[in-house]
Amino acid sequence: MAIFANQVNKTYQSGEVTVQALRQASLEVPDKKIVTILGPSGSGKSTLLNVIGGIDRYDSGSIKVGDTVLDQLKDRQLTDYRRKFVGFIFQQYNLIPTLTVEENVEVGRELSQQPLHMKDTLEKVGMWDKKDKFPSQLSGGEQQRVAIARALIKNPQILLCDEPTGALDEETGKNILKLLKFVNEQYGTTVLIITHNQGIGEMAHSVIRMKSGEIVDSYENENPVHPEKVTWS
Amino acid sequence: MILKKSVYRTLKEKKFQYAGVAVLLLLAVMLYVSLSMAITTLESRNETFSKDYKQESFHFVAGEDVADEKLSVWEDEYNVTLEKREYADFQVEDSTLRVFTTTESVNIPYIAEGRAPTSDQELAISKVYAEKHQYELGDAITLDDREFEITGFVYLPDYIYMVEQMTDLLADAEKFGVAVVSGSSFSVNGQTEILGWTENGDVPDGFRESVSEETALLQFVNSEDNPRIGFVETEIEGAKGMTTTLPLFILALSIAMVLMLMKRRMEMQRKEIGTLMALGYRKKELVRHYLGYAWFIGLGGTVGGLTAGAGLSVPLSNLYANYFNLPALSMFDWDPFVLVIGFVIPLLLLILLTTFVISRTLRTEPLTLLRPKEMSNGKKSWLEKLPLLQKGGFIRRFRLRLLVRNKARSFYIFIGVMFSTVLLLFGLITFNSMDQLVETTYKEILKYDYAVHYQSLMTEETEDEQSPFTMNELGVVDEDVKITAYGMEKDNEFIQLSAEGESLQSDFSEGAIISAPLAAVLGVGEGDEINLKNSLNSDTMQLEVAAVADLYIGNNLYLPREELNGFLGFPDEAYTGTWQKQSPENSENVYMVEDKQKAIDSFESTTGATRASVAGMAVFAVLIGVIVLTLLTNLIVEENSPSISLFKVMGYHDKEVSKLVLSVYTPIVLIAYFVSIPLASLSLQQTMNTLVQETGFLMPTDVAWWMVVIGFIVILLTYWLSLGLSKRKLKNVSLQEALKKQQD
Repeated sequence: MAIFANQVNKTYQSGEVTVQALRQASLEVPDKKIVTILGPSGSGKSTLLNVIGGIDRYDSGSIKVGDTVLDQLKDRQLTDYRRKFVGFIFQQYNLIPTLTVEENVEVGRELSQQPLHMKDTLEKVGMWDKKDKFPSQLSGGEQQRVAIARALIKNPQILLCDEPTGALDEETGKNILKLLKFVNEQYGTTVLIITHNQGIGEMAHSVIRMKSGEIVDSYENENPVHPEKVTWS
Repeated sequence: MILKKSVYRTLKEKKFQYAGVAVLLLLAVMLYVSLSMAITTLESRNETFSKDYKQESFHFVAGEDVADEKLSVWEDEYNVTLEKREYADFQVEDSTLRVFTTTESVNIPYIAEGRAPTSDQELAISKVYAEKHQYELGDAITLDDREFEITGFVYLPDYIYMVEQMTDLLADAEKFGVAVVSGSSFSVNGQTEILGWTENGDVPDGFRESVSEETALLQFVNSEDNPRIGFVETEIEGAKGMTTTLPLFILALSIAMVLMLMKRRMEMQRKEIGTLMALGYRKKELVRHYLGYAWFIGLGGTVGGLTAGAGLSVPLSNLYANYFNLPALSMFDWDPFVLVIGFVIPLLLLILLTTFVISRTLRTEPLTLLRPKEMSNGKKSWLEKLPLLQKGGFIRRFRLRLLVRNKARSFYIFIGVMFSTVLLLFGLITFNSMDQLVETTYKEILKYDYAVHYQSLMTEETEDEQSPFTMNELGVVDEDVKITAYGMEKDNEFIQLSAEGESLQSDFSEGAIISAPLAAVLGVGEGDEINLKNSLNSDTMQLEVAAVADLYIGNNLYLPREELNGFLGFPDEAYTGTWQKQSPENSENVYMVEDKQKAIDSFESTTGATRASVAGMAVFAVLIGVIVLTLLTNLIVEENSPSISLFKVMGYHDKEVSKLVLSVYTPIVLIAYFVSIPLASLSLQQTMNTLVQETGFLMPTDVAWWMVVIGFIVILLTYWLSLGLSKRKLKNVSLQEALKKQQD
């Protein structure tokens, strides 16, 4: 599912200060591609991801995901949009601590009318043998795998990943990236990864750079590298 | 929804918290259901019995025999059913058994077990009297050397509250009981009373006047002035207030606790909620998920409460059955609607209010929920900016801030402690009132041993050990109040009217002295005026209230005898009774004897029950106090676990951390306790004042110093117990876990 953003602006109040989080941000993410958004803290990359994912609103401009224009959607319509098309992956995993691995994934599965098969999904993320464990019994990498499975099982059209490797070491981080690439290739899911880790850009089909709420650069990778080979920083 | 499992596991993990609040709800429902079931049973039995068995509308005692023909004339003239009934009192062991002839039209006896007496050697006695004296059907009972066989257990519609004298306050089946014999077998020299029944229950206009024209009227009692009939209704009305007020308060406490727990849960799980919203969960799905907690507490509490309440209503109904002689005329006397209300109302309130609290949190944008709380709300309230909170050492400022930041918690603790204190003091005041009432009324004021009432007006000189008095029932102009007026000798030694230990005997020259219940009913005090009305001839008299005596029983008014005689048109030296020390000799002219010792014994025999109810109230107060305080302090520990952990990391001892976080609420507990003392006294006084017209007695509601001390010790122990329980939780706060929470 392709994503189009056209001159999107977003401001918010932080105490007494008005912060311009997005300034005339425009981008185009082709269907079934991996796109990485790079930039330092406060550059607006998370805000951009959030407005595309429909968990935040923008002040002006337009965003279109597939055939859905997000500009005028009401709360309920935005919820339906997220439910149908979007999978979220967070830096802190945000699993429900009182549910097991399988149950956490079930939380995502219940939302979809055409979910993936539970066992297949958990096997694909390598967590089937730990399906009865609780999040507190898992490592960070394992928890992120469960979070990916939870997003994936909905069979979403786009997968929005907010610093998915931010809390992980290199080896585990690369494993997660491999998994994201696999999801993209296997299911044709458009994957948007925001990160401050420059090296992750090497595996994406295209890279967008942001600074102070503006998209300052964007380019396509003609030969994306295998996640194993990204330069970890 | 798979999320249900999360609810079950959280409930399991926090079982103490959720079970505690469910117990609070259970107590509320249990109290409501048990009291209501018992009361509706009582009400239904009373209504059915009085209607089906033609409870009298009035009865009267005439100075001489009234011919049956005259009764027929009155029946036709006033559309009333009249029937004569004979009765006599017999001493059986240490008790009095009042034996009545069987009537057919008014106050028809109901035989609950066995059969009605038919021969001269048979009688039926009241069941509660039989139980107290271990009589069974078929046993023999000797009355004045005549042996009778007990053929049945009887209930009389005009002896529902089985008191020997109408002035008696408490029924005691060990001391007094009733029985019926067949009319023909009654050959003893008994009293005759005439029972009257009308369709609407009122005395027909002019009837009383007609009777008094025909014969000297020694006594005329409307059913509403007859405590044997009316007291059950007073009890029903009084208890009805209790059935809703007390449970409603506990219900409010439990719902407030659920809301606080829910708010806390939603705060703790804000990130989870944000994630679920980001995943695409709809608000109504999340509301349904979080309502799982309320459903669990609600269903657990209400179903448990209904079961416990229904169970408890059985002994409670039995207690009432011992107190009021009402037969079970049908299988289901209680109102099934009680169960519906007990189930639906608490559950509905709980679910609606919890939905409101959940919906409020869900109004927040998912992104805000996904961010740490501090980032979305970092402002200090105006209270925190007060200079008072800026001064002093760290510990002081920290404790004060904790108080200020948790205003709702402080308020809840305040209300919880107040509720427990009021309940506790209610028990203590009531307990003390009973003693004080007996002590002041029967020992300090009423110094006679017997009050002897004569069948006709007396004028002969009384003996040395007697003091004559005139007693008559008077009305009050424009008020529906009956006053028992006593005309007495100013210098008599048998009635020593006093207030707060000061004698009031000399105040007679300034006007009338009235009892405390009468002052409350009329709303008058010293210096006010009362307009008395003679109900027989409509004469009126204006009197000034000279003083209100510490006499807590009866709507009594005391005047010099000559003055009352003058108003009633009696000769100056006339009297209707005597107060005396000696037991009266059997005399045909004696109409009724009040034995003071019997009244005292009756009071004292109920002390055990009072003690039990006071102990019950105290246990209830402590239980509610412990639940409320423990739940709150527990919540406080949970809420402050990051700070607690941090303090521990920094090297604070558990005791110091407890002082910083837990003991913060000590001043609130103390303030709540001391505020509750006047509140308890005032509210009890208010309750007594509203009931005084029906009960005819007023309980002294003074708070003695020892009650304050006992209450203080109990509340403090309750608080310490709760702190102790929460300190265990505080000790268990893991450093890593708490710090991790803070990082998140």
